[in-house]
Amino acid sequence: MSTKVAIIASNGGLFDAYKVFNIATAAAATDAEVSIFFTFEGLNLIHKQAYQQLPMPAGREHFAEGFKAANVPAIPELVGMAVELGVKIIACQMTMDVMNLKKEDFIDGIDVGGAVTFLDFAKDANVTLTF
Amino acid sequence: MNITVDKVLDCKGLACPMPIVKTKKGMEELQAGQVIEVLATDKGSVADIQGWAKNTGHQYIGTIEEGEVFKHYLRKANADEVKEETRYPHTVSHEELIEKINAKENMKILDVREPAEYAFGRIPGAISIPMGELEERISELNPEDVIHVVCRSGNRSDRACQLLDEKGFKRLKNILPGMKDWLGQIEKN
Repeated sequence: MSTKVAIIASNGGLFDAYKVFNIATAAAATDAEVSIFFTFEGLNLIHKQAYQQLPMPAGREHFAEGFKAANVPAIPELVGMAVELGVKIIACQMTMDVMNLKKEDFIDGIDVGGAVTFLDFAKDANVTLTF
Repeated sequence: MNITVDKVLDCKGLACPMPIVKTKKGMEELQAGQVIEVLATDKGSVADIQGWAKNTGHQYIGTIEEGEVFKHYLRKANADEVKEETRYPHTVSHEELIEKINAKENMKILDVREPAEYAFGRIPGAISIPMGELEERISELNPEDVIHVVCRSGNRSDRACQLLDEKGFKRLKNILPGMKDWLGQIEKN
């Protein structure tokens, strides 16, 4: 049976996005089954508009050049790859209700679910990560 | 050094996790047993490629560093290799083989792995004819010679022995296990 990787993404900055999607795509490319649960500010990472210009942490704006120099893919590109590799994306219904967001506000190919949807996947995961 | 491969994948200038993601996709286009050369400048790829191979079951052959470029060699795993079915009845162990080598017995060692695998380490003096080319290059071998055949696990060499046996070679031995467990002397490119 393949390795299962369960990730919770609960922060909405650019650094958070790279942590989540680098691990997720690397795991999926290594034949792992990956699910990410996006909750609270983590929803920014899959929001159609927000994910195109995620903020750098305050005072860390100068890293923008480093990202360019290292030829790191843009977040929408990484997300596209993750989806293509079969990473399952679950948006948190409760946060969506609180923030008045609809499924259409997010990128295509996501699932919407509650905490149990994620827990059902995570209960026998080999790796569980929180960002 | 130049090593014959089935596919070259250029990941130069790409940051993690792109070399891995592209390697996965590149590997999907290969047939089992074929070898890919992955070019990368990401220093993390040296450890990542090995970890990737370990987790996906593909064979990591080796890495060459040329200036800023890493050339990683991987071979696509073959489902039936895992089973390691061996049928050719005449085999030789590593201990016996090392004794024969030390005694300078008159025999040939035929290595039927891919050129990249051969380049990264072989029994000294072994002749390289990849399994896929064996039939068309059979005239390079003499049916009267004592030939010991080796591959990585003992599976391809078993098929090679059976093929050679059908073609009239009768003084064959399959070296078991294969190069993955070889502790004797190694010759490299």
